[in-house]
Amino acid sequence: MTQLRDPAHRVSPRARLMWHVETGIAALAVAAGLGVAAVLAAPDALRWGLLALAIIVCTAVAVVVPQWRYRVHRWEVSATAVYTQRGWWARERRIAPMSRVQTVDFAQGPLARLFGLATVTVTTASAAGPLQIEGLDRDVALALVDELTRKADLVAGDAT
Amino acid sequence: MTPTETWQRLDPRMLLVHPIKEVGRFLPVLIGLLIAGGASGGGPWALLGVGLPVGLGVVRYLTTTYRIHDGRVELRRGLLQRHTLATPVDRVRAVDLTASPIHRILGLATVVIGTGSVASDADERLELDALPRDEAARLRAALLRTGQAYAVQVLPDGTALPPPPAVEQVVARFSPRWLWYAPFSGTVLVAAGAMLGVAGQLSQSIHVRITEADLAAITEALVLVVAAGIVVLAIVLAVGGYLVTNGNFVLARQGSAWHVRRGLLTHREISIDVARVAGVSLGEPAALRVARGRRVHAIVTGLGGEHHASSSMLLPPAPRAIGYDVASAVLGDATPMSAPLLPHGRAAVTRRYTRALLGALPFVLLPVAGVVAGGPVWLLVVALLPVGVALALAVDRVRSLGHAFVAGHVVMRSGSALRSRDALAAGHVIGWNQRATWFQRRAGLVSLAATTAGGKGRVHVPDVPVAAAIALAEAATPGLVGQFLEEVR
Repeated sequence: MTQLRDPAHRVSPRARLMWHVETGIAALAVAAGLGVAAVLAAPDALRWGLLALAIIVCTAVAVVVPQWRYRVHRWEVSATAVYTQRGWWARERRIAPMSRVQTVDFAQGPLARLFGLATVTVTTASAAGPLQIEGLDRDVALALVDELTRKADLVAGDAT
Repeated sequence: MTPTETWQRLDPRMLLVHPIKEVGRFLPVLIGLLIAGGASGGGPWALLGVGLPVGLGVVRYLTTTYRIHDGRVELRRGLLQRHTLATPVDRVRAVDLTASPIHRILGLATVVIGTGSVASDADERLELDALPRDEAARLRAALLRTGQAYAVQVLPDGTALPPPPAVEQVVARFSPRWLWYAPFSGTVLVAAGAMLGVAGQLSQSIHVRITEADLAAITEALVLVVAAGIVVLAIVLAVGGYLVTNGNFVLARQGSAWHVRRGLLTHREISIDVARVAGVSLGEPAALRVARGRRVHAIVTGLGGEHHASSSMLLPPAPRAIGYDVASAVLGDATPMSAPLLPHGRAAVTRRYTRALLGALPFVLLPVAGVVAGGPVWLLVVALLPVGVALALAVDRVRSLGHAFVAGHVVMRSGSALRSRDALAAGHVIGWNQRATWFQRRAGLVSLAATTAGGKGRVHVPDVPVAAAIALAEAATPGLVGQFLEEVR
């Protein structure tokens, strides 16, 4: 049987650390919120159990999800197409022909800049979602933007 | 040179439309002014209230001009904040002529030029309010080249002959029988919801004193009568709304454009460039299927998003046969709408059942918990109801699920209550999205979407077997997905 293979390249290994920090902060906020709610609202018998559960779940998410995501996130650019894969529980693969690429966007959030990482977003004329590659090494991302712009330029038409 | 090459003004008759409309908009203010003015005797203020809307209309008339020049439509407007909008004529996807009753009395029409820009800001819309009807039609012909207004024939002796306007072929025309489908189109729910909302508002603003005697007067019969009244009223509203929006409906092909004309009071004429029609969506929601009706929307490149939904309508709820005729005529081939679809196999069927039954689970657990807590045993019968509904839904969803590649079109069908059969021309597929959760990966399934530049941005179908998803993509866009394949045992 034939099946769609994973795209060739992984994102930067540093992305894992960035995602750990990112989800860590989010998990901390959620755990704090749930903790306050448990202390204030939960009946006495359940209070500490619920608090412990909230902390365990949030910690597990912050530890597991970035690693899982790193295993899934991949990208590949061929002569005629862009192919990305992202997600963790739900895996989303997107393929767009080079001739339909409309814009190539390079973005760096504050956290990404700290880790020297960047996000490249490739949009087509479709409203059903762009192709996004997160956690690329900054230099790799810049080279990729160059390559995509050059290849997309070679094709005439308005890409619709 | 066509008459639109120089800067044109709107029709002066629009000076009458705008004051009437603006006065309508200012009516609450006006009434307030008159009452306040009557009380305090402040005459000049009341005058300002009347003069301002009229003045705004005059300013709009004086400052708005348009032309077609050098292959571009240009529109200038605004007094202090001058806007100049320009768009290439070959980017025009659709032209929308609307005439409210006021416009119709004056022989005018508003022109909205659809370019597929994502800007929904009113400032960025190419809108001309208003032109004389025949001038509006001429402008539309020039923009969509339905009458080949640009390809002026030149005779050997040098005189130019205007080309004959293309003949209009009518594909579907409104018939009073179509009103039968109005109550099955979902507008009934909207109407009922609106009525409940209004009732809620009223009951809040009007203080009704309810005594115990009143409560005692509420019998089962009264409840039934009120419920029946609401249902009847909702149906009447749905039929009336259908008649007002879709009365006089005509779908016709003229040259390289589709024209949709509809509306009993406010006339709307929507014209779509044939080259921009990427596909067709045949709407077959469950209620409409029961009534043996269908509706049709076009998937138009550059016309996407919610506020274009009404522009891309090709057929309101109408008899099934007409629905198939319209879809076939627009696609240029009947097979994408009639060909049998490939089923998705046992794993997809299992998923339909598990998902429907899991959705029903809370509604089953609730009565069961009630019985356990000491409730009457007949509650268990109530628990069977959601199971029945879920099973019926699952059966219908299994029957709906399918895809195919037919006559150059990617065809996908899914859903139950909102089922639709979408056909997208292979040339308009601009990418593939494959989404699979951990459960789907275990079952060897993937949710497949073919992306496109129009409509909702994609046509999609859940739970396609992995191999079938690749086969469909390879049939529609050879080599695109094929370069990323691998062999597995």
